[in-house]
Amino acid sequence: MNRALRSLAVIGVALVVFGPLGLIFYQSFLSEAFFFPTAHFSFGAYRYVLADSGFHSAFGTSLLVSLGMTLISVPLGSLLAFLLARTDLPGKKWLEPWLLVPIFLSPVVLAFGYVVAVGPVGFFSLWAKALIGRVPWNLYSLFGLVLIAGLTHVPHAFLYVSSALRSLDPAVEEAARVAGAGPWRIAVTVSLPLVLPSILFSASLIFLLGFELFGLPLVLGDPAGLLVLTTYLYKLTNLLGVPSYHLMAVVALSIVALTFPLVYLQRRMLRTAGRFAVIGGKGQAFRPLPLGVLRWPAVFLLVLWLAVTVLVPLVGVALRSLVSSWGEGIKLSEVLTLDHFRELTGYPNLVRGIVNTFLIGGIGGALSVAFYAIVALGSHRWQSRWVSFLDYLVMVPRALPGLIVGLAFLWVFLFFKPIAPLRTTLFSLWIAYTVVWLAYGLRLISASLLQVKPELEEAARVTGAPQGEVFRYVTLPLIRFGLIGSWLLIFMMFVREYSTGVYLLGPGTEVIGSLIVSLWGTGALDLIAALSVIEVALVGVVLFIALRVGVRLDA
Amino acid sequence: MPDLIAEKIEKQLGTAQILNGVSFQLQQGEILALLGPSGSGKTTLLRSVAGLERPDAGKIELRGKVVFDAASGFEIPAEQRGLGLVFQSYAIWPHRSVFENVAYGLRLRHAPEAEIRQRVGQVLGRLGLGHLADRYAHQLSGGQQQRVALARAMVYNPPVLLLDEPLSNLDAKLREDARAWLREIIKQTGTSALYVTHDQTEALAIADRTLLLDRGQIQQEGTPEQIYARPTNLFTAEFMGSNNRFEGKLVEVGRERGRLEAEGWTLWGRLRATKKVGEKATALIRVERTRLGDGPGADRLQMKLNSALYLGERWEYLFQLADLRIRAWGEERLQEGDYWVSVPEASLWIF
Repeated sequence: MNRALRSLAVIGVALVVFGPLGLIFYQSFLSEAFFFPTAHFSFGAYRYVLADSGFHSAFGTSLLVSLGMTLISVPLGSLLAFLLARTDLPGKKWLEPWLLVPIFLSPVVLAFGYVVAVGPVGFFSLWAKALIGRVPWNLYSLFGLVLIAGLTHVPHAFLYVSSALRSLDPAVEEAARVAGAGPWRIAVTVSLPLVLPSILFSASLIFLLGFELFGLPLVLGDPAGLLVLTTYLYKLTNLLGVPSYHLMAVVALSIVALTFPLVYLQRRMLRTAGRFAVIGGKGQAFRPLPLGVLRWPAVFLLVLWLAVTVLVPLVGVALRSLVSSWGEGIKLSEVLTLDHFRELTGYPNLVRGIVNTFLIGGIGGALSVAFYAIVALGSHRWQSRWVSFLDYLVMVPRALPGLIVGLAFLWVFLFFKPIAPLRTTLFSLWIAYTVVWLAYGLRLISASLLQVKPELEEAARVTGAPQGEVFRYVTLPLIRFGLIGSWLLIFMMFVREYSTGVYLLGPGTEVIGSLIVSLWGTGALDLIAALSVIEVALVGVVLFIALRVGVRLDA
Repeated sequence: MPDLIAEKIEKQLGTAQILNGVSFQLQQGEILALLGPSGSGKTTLLRSVAGLERPDAGKIELRGKVVFDAASGFEIPAEQRGLGLVFQSYAIWPHRSVFENVAYGLRLRHAPEAEIRQRVGQVLGRLGLGHLADRYAHQLSGGQQQRVALARAMVYNPPVLLLDEPLSNLDAKLREDARAWLREIIKQTGTSALYVTHDQTEALAIADRTLLLDRGQIQQEGTPEQIYARPTNLFTAEFMGSNNRFEGKLVEVGRERGRLEAEGWTLWGRLRATKKVGEKATALIRVERTRLGDGPGADRLQMKLNSALYLGERWEYLFQLADLRIRAWGEERLQEGDYWVSVPEASLWIF
């Protein structure tokens, strides 16, 4: 790969990142949607949004939700990371893959699952009522939303903290143990303080993700009248009757204004903490810390979290898809049916949605991995200002929630007439997905590239191979398993993606995730349940394959 | 014409000056060792020759052809220099068989298949790897991997063979055998070789000539005998061998000799630096030249035996006199007490 090609890759990324963002910026200074001939320069949209009390309360709610979920997920995730990475927790080999499952579940499916499982007339709520006479919880509350957001983001904290713990020299814990400290004390006074940079990093990441939440607040916040910034944006779509693009652009920019500094902060944190700086240890086998009497309480904690976060919503979704109706006084055995799945086939758009989901995950995912690989190879072993520019460039999509990227690409396809016909094809969806998952995908590929020792490539160069030949002969064959693993992971992410497709949804671009969001507005619970089951099954099968072939989920 | 000429190579990494104007020449068929402690810049120098690093200043010529010139910004990339490089970690491509690893350089040069088979077979045979052609790196021992790396670098007859600490990943016993074997192979093929090592014994054994580097500068250049037996500066003297060190003040200076004195002792030695009476100086003698004496004399010191360590093939004695501690080797166990230690004037260098 020569200079020109490499620069081309960087310019391509810049185009797909800054194009849409620039359009949002431009739109925010117009008096109305850009396609109206009367649209002119104006601060009106800013004046309207910034003065709107609904915007203020959405901002406040977003802040509370972000803070609350960080305070729940970081301590719990760190504790679980310690238990799984450092102790002799019974059955941890078997439990560990389950810990990461929530990452691969669509939040909108989870939220829907909670509604039908523990909502006012959910399965578990009614069973609880039958037992103790009342429903002891209220799902539709700020607390309910924060709790569920917190619990479902535990894996993000777990991921970073456990990878830091694994590179911690076990000798520091053994020293504490010899000095007389028990496992709890070791965790709190030695291990976790030593990985504080990673804990703080995961906290800032989860705080950021809080502002990008869409599925959970859409489904769980709505009945209680709770709006966060993303759902406020979504509501604006239909507020004025005419497309209020200028207002949406301002809200989108205000979200980016919040998330971008957080992404930048994380970058600084990564540089100082050094994600790859191994604190010590030679990776040798070490004896895990014996938990002693704490063994079973620890297992209980983990299983309880799994039950609440994965089992309850999934059981809810599965049951809901199998009953004709549900409410007080209905016996489960009398309403079981497979009709909802049959019903699906009667809606051509839903059938297309299922096929499209599969296509965008399988073929789209493969194309995206190829694109990420080209970009990653473009900057691989290349000392250039282009590379540090690319480094900053890939930060940008991380600050953009899928909802906003989808919106921006909708505008791009409306704005640039020559590419307008592509809007109603899967291509529009694919390019938006590729941008949303750009940072994640590049991280997957670079993780594989990091495994290739530079000497292996240098040896080929000295032997006489030009750069492109080096990639073809040495680098690519060595990372081929990494590429396959990346494809499986991207497949799952694309299948579970829902918010990016919301604005691009139209005949030809239906996918399960965005269909669920749009069906949620119509209250078609039967169809949502059936679609959710299909989506979870699709992800489940790929997850099973990924685990069987040994793909690391914690990339 | 020399095979390789490097002129005033400079390289800065961050704020650290890695190479500080290093120049050397490599004659045809010669093995030149780049010896130095870690951080001396020897590997950077080798990688600059290979084209894997770009020096900030200087010029490199291969067989009379300029491959790098900082002044004009000219640089021939690594893949077009046609050199052979043996990496410290061997860098055998794990996804290719031994045969394919070795054949790659010939394939890149578009050699016909029959010739590839013949030449790879020949070089593998010569390095004793003939029966391993179909194996992969993980099926080879460290010594075998090292030979595959060598075969891969030699098969297309590069004008200069570069070796970056090729033996440092072998265990001690294997390393001693490989030393002699490696020199023999390189000498047989007649290529010139640049050999980076931090191990002085290796440099002395393998190289025709040695360049001793420290902090990016050449400290001394010469044959192994010159470097070991006739060091021109304190760094070279101390870096090579095991030494006893004397700190004192010059009290008398004669023709190329001087007398160094400190509390409790005075000794004559060969003056190897221009120093005047009254200046502080350091004297050095190789431990093997320090002997037990049979009685008092001009080059004798009466010292107390602190301890005697049994090292297998010899004893090491540790003597003390006031603040002065020195080591000597001998064949037998010594009882506690005072001894006469001989520090011959001809072997004591004053810097």
